[in-house]
Amino acid sequence: MKDDSVKHPQAAAEFLKDRAQAKWHDSAIWWVRQKRDAQAKQLPEWEELRRLAREIKAHTLSQLDDYLAQFEANAQKNGVTVHWAADADEHNRIVHDILAARQVKKLVKSKSMLTEECGLNPYLEQRGIEVVDTDLGERIVQLRHEAPSHIVMPAIHLKKEQISELFHKELGTEAGNNDPTYLTHAARANLREHFLTADAGLTGVNFAIAETGGVVVCTNEGNADLGTSLPPIHIASMGLEKIIPKLEHLGVFTRLLARSAIGSPVTTYTSHFHQARPGGEMHIVIVDNGRSDILGNEDFYQSLRCIRCGACMNTCPVYRRSSGFSYSYIIPGPIGSTLGPSRDMKKHGSMAFACSTCGSCSNVCPVKINLHEQLVLHRKKAFDQNLLPTGKKMGLLAMRFLTQHPALFDLGGKVMRKVVPIIPESLTRHSAWSRAGRDLPPMPAQSFKEQYQQRSQNKKDKQDKKDKEEQQ
Amino acid sequence: MSTRDSILARIRQNRPQATALPDIHAVPFIRYDNPFEAFATLIRNLGGDAVQLAAGQSVADVVAARWPDAGRTVDLTVAGHEEVDDPHAWHDVDVAIVPGQLAVAENATVWVSHPDNHFRSIYFLTQKLVLVVPRDAMVDTMRDAYARIDMAEHGFGAFISGSSRTADIEQSLVMGAHGAMAALVIFV
Repeated sequence: MKDDSVKHPQAAAEFLKDRAQAKWHDSAIWWVRQKRDAQAKQLPEWEELRRLAREIKAHTLSQLDDYLAQFEANAQKNGVTVHWAADADEHNRIVHDILAARQVKKLVKSKSMLTEECGLNPYLEQRGIEVVDTDLGERIVQLRHEAPSHIVMPAIHLKKEQISELFHKELGTEAGNNDPTYLTHAARANLREHFLTADAGLTGVNFAIAETGGVVVCTNEGNADLGTSLPPIHIASMGLEKIIPKLEHLGVFTRLLARSAIGSPVTTYTSHFHQARPGGEMHIVIVDNGRSDILGNEDFYQSLRCIRCGACMNTCPVYRRSSGFSYSYIIPGPIGSTLGPSRDMKKHGSMAFACSTCGSCSNVCPVKINLHEQLVLHRKKAFDQNLLPTGKKMGLLAMRFLTQHPALFDLGGKVMRKVVPIIPESLTRHSAWSRAGRDLPPMPAQSFKEQYQQRSQNKKDKQDKKDKEEQQ
Repeated sequence: MSTRDSILARIRQNRPQATALPDIHAVPFIRYDNPFEAFATLIRNLGGDAVQLAAGQSVADVVAARWPDAGRTVDLTVAGHEEVDDPHAWHDVDVAIVPGQLAVAENATVWVSHPDNHFRSIYFLTQKLVLVVPRDAMVDTMRDAYARIDMAEHGFGAFISGSSRTADIEQSLVMGAHGAMAALVIFV
């Protein structure tokens, strides 16, 4: 479970203490962002796809109640049992009731951020059910008793040496063997035993189709498929925003998802579940847990378009340099920084400030959510609700005063450009700027405004001269 | 009021402004001059391979040549193949040869969907997966693929692309996570 008392600046500072690992984290994730760009460039219709995805989702949200009712009716026609959960507790209770009624001892789970959000694993474990996360990254963090640090790459914060040590202890692999292929195949053998002996399988949902009443789950590992085709019971947990109207619309979303998420043209398995396996049963739990409230908020409802690809995290300069664990909400990065405060501003308010407003998240988002704009609005809300630490609040008030008085702002700049270069280093060493291991930047001779004015003047002079020459 | 009705009522009350559903068919999507070439090049990067059956050659010949020491082999493309009534019974299959209904050039996926879902687990339990696809059942993009699929037909279907893979350990790509370690698509 996630610790929601985390404050971003402190947690990020902690992460940055190991400079080498922080640098590796940054470059590993940036590499995924570059792969995403390469994929996007291969399709001439990429921007059109984003537009279509955005419009399909916007339309669906505007008639969400109708589509959910249609989905339910069609799922029931397929023989699927549909449940509704108002919050995390109700979701966990429903899942437990299904499992308890059938004496389930072991549940194999495929990756689902929703069950992380609901805290399902500890709930079931306290009631005597063994829960095995089967996505390799999820399995690794489960064995470490951690939450995922990324929604698509749950163990991206770990080096292979740490995983080798963990597997040696938990799975009996060779000590010191850090080969990713060796480690992956050891986990494969171990998890296969779990798949073959589980009594039930639980998956998340990437897309739910109103027209056909089925759900789509995308994985590269095939864990969702083994977990649902072997045990007799399949439970699919879905957030109510996962609906799309028709089967044909999947042709837009399945083209965007993996390309945006991991820079791959598609996931290995894109599986369409409409019925239980023969002799089995299938349940779908539709979960609200605060989503219908966000839907009613004009500034923030767009975040419900999210298809959970993680592209915003991979491009975010703050996420890459502070890791998923520095965010208090279960979903980190830009999308989590708007969903978290929408849920609970008191708990997650600091997340919205972990943003440089560079706008890169909005530029890569496959459904075009205005992420950086939402984060700015959340900051305003946090300020208005008086939830900022005193120092930060005073700083913002001072900045507001300064920007409202341009002459004072100019003067301040002028003084800084003169004074900063002559301050002895011993005085600045402990400033917020220098503590992170940075030197103070060299001060420019002129302010931006002065440079701009001079440039405009030069241009005008040049034009005047040209005009004069032409007249002569 | 039931949870269902109260959720739906709150959504109805909070509905954002109505917007129209876009026409996804109005936009031109990518076309491939040589779809097989595009498919074959891509699937090699995804831990698979694609070949076209030569005249006089059989699927079994191609598979035997590729994996001469194969263990338990199940061929669902021939009449009278073995059947089981428990999905776990496929746990030691080494090579599964299964029919694929459709191939997609843009992402090297093959659509599989079988009238008997007792076979569902074999796609994922087998060590090596052979997908047999008619030569003319190839489309350019996923949009074209969904236009040809009837979901109501079998209740389960999947697009499969290459072998099972993961990059969860330090971003190193490893083939063979939970599903098949190798995939071969044979166009017939």
